[in-house]
Amino acid sequence: KMAAAAGGLRRAGWRLWRGRAVVRCQLSPPHRALQASAVLRRVSDEQKEPLASSSQQQFYSHPTDHQPEQEPQGPRPSYTGQGGQESEDYESEEQLQHRILTAALEFVPEHGWTAEAIAEGAKTLGLSAAAAGMFHNDGSELILHFVSQCNTKLSELLEQEQKLVQLGEAKKKPTDQFLRDAVQARLRMLIPYIEKWPQALSILLLPHNIPSSLNLLTSMIDDIWHYAGDKSTDFNWYTRRAVLTGIYNTTELVMMQDSSPDFEDTWRFLENRVADAMNMGNTADQVQSTGEAVVQGLMGAAVTVSNAETSRAVR
Amino acid sequence: VPAGGVSLRRCSTRESLEGVNRPVIDRIIRVDHAGEYGANRIYAGQMAVLGRSSVGPVIQQMWNQEKDHLKKFNELMVAYRVRPTVLLPFWNVAGFVLGAGSALLGKKGAMACTVAVEESISDHYNSQIRTLMEEDPEKYKELLQVIKQFRDDEREHHDIGLEHDAEAAPAYSVLKTAIQLGCKAAIFLSERI
Repeated sequence: KMAAAAGGLRRAGWRLWRGRAVVRCQLSPPHRALQASAVLRRVSDEQKEPLASSSQQQFYSHPTDHQPEQEPQGPRPSYTGQGGQESEDYESEEQLQHRILTAALEFVPEHGWTAEAIAEGAKTLGLSAAAAGMFHNDGSELILHFVSQCNTKLSELLEQEQKLVQLGEAKKKPTDQFLRDAVQARLRMLIPYIEKWPQALSILLLPHNIPSSLNLLTSMIDDIWHYAGDKSTDFNWYTRRAVLTGIYNTTELVMMQDSSPDFEDTWRFLENRVADAMNMGNTADQVQSTGEAVVQGLMGAAVTVSNAETSRAVR
Repeated sequence: VPAGGVSLRRCSTRESLEGVNRPVIDRIIRVDHAGEYGANRIYAGQMAVLGRSSVGPVIQQMWNQEKDHLKKFNELMVAYRVRPTVLLPFWNVAGFVLGAGSALLGKKGAMACTVAVEESISDHYNSQIRTLMEEDPEKYKELLQVIKQFRDDEREHHDIGLEHDAEAAPAYSVLKTAIQLGCKAAIFLSERI
């Protein structure tokens, strides 16, 4: 909560400085070049694509702050600085990128998951369109950012629900309903971008994106099971997550092709898949107990036969 | 419905796990859970063969303590949201086979197996304690307490094994080395997979 408040202060401070920086940038072009190169140094430190030298001068239309930037200190904001005041406005590059990508989402329905959308987003923040050069051309980061944001929203939603149940203000849902609702809530976040989502899915499957997208997917599924109350510590841990991943992925694909009002076909499909999964669990148990019963029956029969043999032999 | 009488599931949200060194804790809990699970299966195998012999009660008592250890790690695993090792079904069988196999060598064989395994485990717990102490003894106080307690229990099992003539077992040193190599491999794999 402290971090959020500090973040709010930083953002407010950022806007203030940007205003002042507009004035200053007209006074000190060589200063701007210093800013740009300092930012570029950090960019290359974080192993992004090197920018063409021609775009260096236009990298930012306004410097990010009015003093030479400190050496890279990692994603955490630094609280050192020349005076107590300036320190709160230091925004790390990662935070800046987040803000650009978040702003870019608004333009995705129109431009798709592309550098154009990112450029438009950057413009709404008062940055140059060339800021899109910070990111890959194929829109990967934008999509990953979006997925990560959706997952965070889902976690918060589930956390809220859990709090309500713990306070006794809501009833605990049965597992199948919980899973259905969680998957539906998460998939509904795609609705504003549904036209362009197939494009996003294919980009997420590119080899260089697979580690990140897989990571995001598995942690989302793990979150859902955690809040559903899964406490398994044996192989079931894997089975459950595999099953839910399958349900989520297939439902997502169905959703891409669904044209029914409010995607009701998709939610019905989801309900059926979840029901199947529950049945599978029951069936597995039934098979096991039937198997055990059969074995016991056979053992009993063997004992009876051997007793009969023994008593006949004695007679 | 008042929440008072209902036992609340522990709200193990991400916040309570902030600041925890996830990769390190993940590994520690995963491998310890696998270890206790394996130890359980080893004693189960030994009991299957020697349950009705004179050392039956001794093995049963050690087994009961391992059951408690496993229960504790199950709780920690859920609390820290650690995934179990994929190899659990394999340790299930391998542990039982090792226990039963060593018991088939006789009571001393079973004790030798116990000595070897418990020595491996207590060394392993010791190195984990060192790691956690180097990280942050305050933050990991509860975990450190648990591991220290369990390390003492395993040492006790080791000593019981020695008291029951483990060293007189057939091919004791070969057996011990082989089992300890197996334990090292199991630890290596369970930490990662």
